[in-house]
Amino acid sequence: MDFANLSAQLNAGAILPEGIVIITLLVTLVWDLIVGRSSTKVTPYVAIVGLLIATGTLFLQWDTTEPISFLGSFNGDAISLIFRGIIAISAAVTIPISIRYVEQSGTSLAEFITILLTATVGGMFLSGADELVMIFVSLETLSISSYLLTGYMKRDPRSNEAALKYLLIGAASSAIFLYGISLLYGLSGGETRLSAITASIISNGLDESLGLVIALVFVIAGIAFKIAAVPFHQWTPDVYEGSPTPVVAFLSVGSKAAGFALAVRLLVSAFPLVSDQWRFVLTALAILSMVLGNVVALAQTSMKRLLAYSSIAQAGFLMIGLIVGTDAGYSSMVFYLMIYLFMNLGGFACVILFTLRTGTDEINEYSGLYQKDPLLTLALSICLLSLGGIPPLAGFFGKIYLFWAGWQAGAYGLVLIGLITSVISIYYYIRVVKTMVVKEPQEMSEAVANYPEIQWNLTGMRPLQVSIVVALVFTSLAGVLANPLFNLATGSVSKTPMLQATEPMTPVVSQAPEQLPMPTVESVDL
Amino acid sequence: MNLAEGVQIVSLGVLAFLMLATSLGVVLLDNIVYSAFLLGGVFISISGLYILLNAGFVAAAQILIYVGAVNVLILFGIMLVNKRQDFTPVRNAWLGKAATAIVCFGLFALLSTMVLATAWPISSGPIAGDAALVEIGKHFFSDYLLPFELASVLLLMALIGAIVLARREFLPEEMVDSTDEVLTLPERRRELTSTPRQ
Amino acid sequence: MELQYFLLLAAALFCIGIYGLVTSRNAIRVLMSIELLLNAVTLNLMAFSNYLDPMVIRGQVFTVFVITIAAAESAVGLAIVLSIYRNRDTVDMEQFNLLKW
Repeated sequence: MDFANLSAQLNAGAILPEGIVIITLLVTLVWDLIVGRSSTKVTPYVAIVGLLIATGTLFLQWDTTEPISFLGSFNGDAISLIFRGIIAISAAVTIPISIRYVEQSGTSLAEFITILLTATVGGMFLSGADELVMIFVSLETLSISSYLLTGYMKRDPRSNEAALKYLLIGAASSAIFLYGISLLYGLSGGETRLSAITASIISNGLDESLGLVIALVFVIAGIAFKIAAVPFHQWTPDVYEGSPTPVVAFLSVGSKAAGFALAVRLLVSAFPLVSDQWRFVLTALAILSMVLGNVVALAQTSMKRLLAYSSIAQAGFLMIGLIVGTDAGYSSMVFYLMIYLFMNLGGFACVILFTLRTGTDEINEYSGLYQKDPLLTLALSICLLSLGGIPPLAGFFGKIYLFWAGWQAGAYGLVLIGLITSVISIYYYIRVVKTMVVKEPQEMSEAVANYPEIQWNLTGMRPLQVSIVVALVFTSLAGVLANPLFNLATGSVSKTPMLQATEPMTPVVSQAPEQLPMPTVESVDL
Repeated sequence: MNLAEGVQIVSLGVLAFLMLATSLGVVLLDNIVYSAFLLGGVFISISGLYILLNAGFVAAAQILIYVGAVNVLILFGIMLVNKRQDFTPVRNAWLGKAATAIVCFGLFALLSTMVLATAWPISSGPIAGDAALVEIGKHFFSDYLLPFELASVLLLMALIGAIVLARREFLPEEMVDSTDEVLTLPERRRELTSTPRQ
Repeated sequence: MELQYFLLLAAALFCIGIYGLVTSRNAIRVLMSIELLLNAVTLNLMAFSNYLDPMVIRGQVFTVFVITIAAAESAVGLAIVLSIYRNRDTVDMEQFNLLKW
């Protein structure tokens, strides 16, 4: 294969968005090297612009006819475009909320942004990776940069500790994931492309082997770690509490979206032979995540830990869409992720702002905030209520669509548990809102009583304000004006060959356990 | 590699024994320095196994990277970190260890059943052998080009990140007073109850 | 010589690694256990590559990637261990309880 021939076959245009992010990353790094510490006035904005351009190019590729590139390493189909967009936007929102935070903690901003952009690149490649080696390398790019971000505040023992725990648990889980992948490579007799694996497993006559089930279990352990599903959630509260809050914001949205993208692609295209088993395992994980996440969140006193458990529970809700496996299921999952992006990042932006002004993140300290800072109270309340699923807000419509898709597909038990646990979740979200709004002036906490004068003209405060307002507007309006997002979500599913082709292969319910109703093929007609 | 069948079997046995013994040493010995050296033994015996598997290049890479870089790095880490301290014993630690050992035995039983029960689709085709190096090079620049390039981004990042984390901050004299609190998270610190710092 | 010998060896190494991962109290030993796990995986891949895929040898390429990334990961891991040691003066996992589990 000569060079001209090869470069024609690569179809390198499909990774243009990632290329743009990598160029942005290098520009940030080199600019910081040349200019020195004063580069912080420019670099964050360069990074945001780069990420937005990358998102724009993702839109241009919406109607692409040749998604496969790099000889099968990468598949830029519609569902990957959506996930890559979610990850890029979550990074683009994380950067403005981190400027002030990083400045105030006295660490260097340029390296922070570079590492964050690498994590973004890793996540974006992971969403489209169509081949085992590519999956592994991009997963590790995402994970290693996340460990670094977690430990970025290196003088703070809590940040160190969070990074160490995250690294050890993360590296172990990726090693276990990799063991599963190696079994997959063996069972398929030496295939690494996801699309070829199933066919060769069948032709080798290993479609009902114990090996495939073990590979599946190991792979699910790796994925569940990434999306923080119970019982692989142990790291989440610690890492969320210990690491810098902007990093948590990115981990809870970007990294989680990448995990879901990986789950969809790997489970649907490499494990259709054991789809009953993986749906069963995921159902168990989803129920555990919803119940445990929401119940433990009730007892939390720290806002970051509360959001950590809430994100575990949200992962449980999202898994409903993946489990039912219908078109509506997938698109409701994508739709909910898009809404979750803004409401969760908005919530974290508010927590960061409060932390910067008062230096605490205990829930009690929020009492009486309404009298001192109405904008912050409003934004945080809207985001939390939306996470809880209160009607006119975006989160409500996302949840309704998810539950509706689950109900249509016959997953009644799952949907009922989802409904009950979301009612529980409303309690702890409302509790925070009540603390902020209802208290009398004399009940005001010390932190709020000493609340500093609101100044937006400090370095990095303006971007924080802008992102809070954007998240606020989006969260309150996205539910009512959901149509474009909705079309995007359904379009991404219906345009993806992988999700369409495997639909008829999904075996019918009969073997599934009784108490866990599984989707039937008839329910697809939406 | 054209070794007689008997030689291969014997060397497999020796290498397997070495690998298992050294890896057990890594996890069981009390002295971490011994463990680190035994880890080098694990890497070397695995590279021997790679030679038995007709993969000379990867065997060389294994020695160069694992023994030459990772193991040395770990030893450096131990030297930098190791102060002679005995960990305060935890009560009933053996119980946890025994439970873990049982679980690991169970896992091993499961995995070995799987290995033995599966009819692996063994290929009878020709073996790349010494042409493997050329083949690997071709893979890197054709179907594994994208992961290859992404790995470069990853390595760049690991380099930068490791420097950022491990570097000691040298701050100008006049700034020193204010740094103590500046470099922590803006959130208020919890009480450091667990470890009394001297 | 059979494929199964190598796979059994890899499985044994994997289980030893898991044991070390769970029981070790020294953070650096945990890192070493992770290296054992990764080596078990590469041994698996190399065995499959030799017996199932001898001509295309994708497994060997995969192994080279795993080795690369393991090196990066251990470098990052040791950087984190160093920074925590500077702040806390210990590498005992039982002492890292500022954050409750």
